[in-house]
Amino acid sequence: MPERVDRDGTPAYRFLGVEVTRREAAFLVLGVVFLFVIPDIASLSDSLQLSVIHQGLLFGFAAVGLNLLLRHTKLTSFGHAAFFGTGAYATAVLARYAGVQSVGLLLLGAIAAATVMAAIIGVLSLRHTGLYFALLTLAFGQLLYAIALGQSALGGSDGLPIRPGPANQPLLFGTAFSPDVYQILTYYLTVVVILIGLFVMYRITQSPFRNALDAIGQERTRARFIGLPVRRYVWAAFVISGIYGGVAGGLYAVVRQYVRPEGTLFFLRSGDILFMAILGGFRTLVGPLIGGVVLVFLQDVGQDVTQYYEFLTGMVLLILVYGFPRGIVGSLRSGGIVNTRLSELRREPSVLSTWGRTAAQSIERKVTEALTSLRIILFGVD
Amino acid sequence: MAVTPTAALVQTLNGIQFGFILFMIASGLTVILGILDVLNLAHGELFSLGAYTAIGVFGFIIGVIGPPGGGVVGTAVFILAVLAAVLVTAAILLPVGTLFEAVFLRQIYDRDQVYQLVLTFALLLILLDVKKFIWGDSSIRTDAVYSAINAIPTSELVGLNYPTYNVFVILVGSVVVVGLFWFFERTKTGRIIRATAIDREMATAIGVSTDRVFTLVFALGAFLAGFAGAVAVPPTSATLEMGTNPLVLSFVVIVIGGLGSLRGAFVGALLVGIIRSWMITLYPPGEIAAPFAIMALILLVKPEGLFGTWGETA
Repeated sequence: MPERVDRDGTPAYRFLGVEVTRREAAFLVLGVVFLFVIPDIASLSDSLQLSVIHQGLLFGFAAVGLNLLLRHTKLTSFGHAAFFGTGAYATAVLARYAGVQSVGLLLLGAIAAATVMAAIIGVLSLRHTGLYFALLTLAFGQLLYAIALGQSALGGSDGLPIRPGPANQPLLFGTAFSPDVYQILTYYLTVVVILIGLFVMYRITQSPFRNALDAIGQERTRARFIGLPVRRYVWAAFVISGIYGGVAGGLYAVVRQYVRPEGTLFFLRSGDILFMAILGGFRTLVGPLIGGVVLVFLQDVGQDVTQYYEFLTGMVLLILVYGFPRGIVGSLRSGGIVNTRLSELRREPSVLSTWGRTAAQSIERKVTEALTSLRIILFGVD
Repeated sequence: MAVTPTAALVQTLNGIQFGFILFMIASGLTVILGILDVLNLAHGELFSLGAYTAIGVFGFIIGVIGPPGGGVVGTAVFILAVLAAVLVTAAILLPVGTLFEAVFLRQIYDRDQVYQLVLTFALLLILLDVKKFIWGDSSIRTDAVYSAINAIPTSELVGLNYPTYNVFVILVGSVVVVGLFWFFERTKTGRIIRATAIDREMATAIGVSTDRVFTLVFALGAFLAGFAGAVAVPPTSATLEMGTNPLVLSFVVIVIGGLGSLRGAFVGALLVGIIRSWMITLYPPGEIAAPFAIMALILLVKPEGLFGTWGETA
């Protein structure tokens, strides 16, 4: 049963190691309820497709894993699609060549494969930090992409279908379901996995392990001096984040029943996963998940509205970098930029014109600067 | 498969040609990385922007002066037109690079590196659709340029049947390589840039305007990418996705060579180019994977890459 504790003067509840205030508990319950009713909401409108939201949640889940590295160790992995893809392909290979039909076994296979892959790539790329690390992870991701593309056993660019057994689909609880029911059931499976995953991530981020990672992220040498086994801890974090990617990939394969290199292993997918974390707010726990849904939704809806949907995504990312560097969740939190600005606006509505003027002035200044630099580069200083 | 010496030679030459193109792309990337500490994900798009622009400019020039005739004069006119197109393209890319650095990148040098990745990725997406807006969705065929250059029979001199276009690329590439090393070793501006790379604060202290150096370096990188795109206008067609593959391969090149080392980029580019080219005949499925495999191998033996970091030597 929930136990009452006191957190800095506000009453809070502790249950299974999760400590929340009343306000946070309300948000938590609301969020979980929302996740569960999404299939019903999606049936209301044509532009809201369950499969799109589902895909967003899966990529977002991979981003939650990536966030462990990004948030605490300050390592930017640019190849997380490698684990997503490994999970997806492990599922496909198990279903096709080993005839495994059970979703549970397929997911276990995905987890195992992603763990091994993350362990190997981790050993090879964690010797480096910073951009070198980003480049290395990216290159390993592309290596896997190249392998999936080049091997005819893996289906090449056509990819692999996941249709094991006579039912032509993976079995949930040993039973085959009709496509509609299968879609809903796998969605709820995803929700359960996500809730468990978030809970585990929450526990990790409340543990001494997280403090160690924070110390490493701040200053490696100092962390080594106070006796932390830096390499081993970072490696463990890397493997954990890889497992999240693998689970997401395995689920993706089970849901879509088809994996292609382009959709799972390509480096733009790695970019997507990274940007989901930042878009949602990488200093928060659920931010990456929300960023995932928003980004996938944006790409999907953008595709319907205009053929220039990449431009749309690019613009959103630009606005994010300059206006809301803390991401969606980080900006909406109390004390975040949105709340601050809204309260300013409520107090003094004329502040709007000031903002507009400041923005216009800074853009004008930047362009003048650029033109001056250009003149100097081309014609020298006069 | 039996490999005759001639075939091996042709493959190697192809590899060298591709290596020179890779070097032109990777050198811009590595210089930006070495000095600005920014991994420019939009670099591949600048490359492909260069290719598209070059096709347009070349078409314009040919439209003005009429199709090149035969004979020595016609050939000379044609080559001049190609070179002019390349130079005009590179000149167009220069202000693009300047604007990118001064308007977008400069604001976020002091932030986490992640934001620089997001920013350059946003620019990548935007450039992609700008290209789609200007040149349309379908690929642009470029056989005209390619076959016209190949019609010039330079290769008959040595009795080897090899496309003249590739010889042209190798020649232009060599000039760029020599020019770049000369620029960084011998010119004052080059030395200032290297000084900034080695010690930013000290450079500022002795009166170097680092702001301007940063803009210059980024513009130079964009120039090189555009130049490479214009020279490498692919033999068959220019497509919207053509920027991705060179971008990722030049990542491999700069990791092999050592982050930010120009010499390393040169060696790495030739290595990747030649091995990739050999793979095409020996084991086709390995073509995409081979560069990454070399990279992994080299990192296992020498984690910092073949050559050290940039600045100490060019």
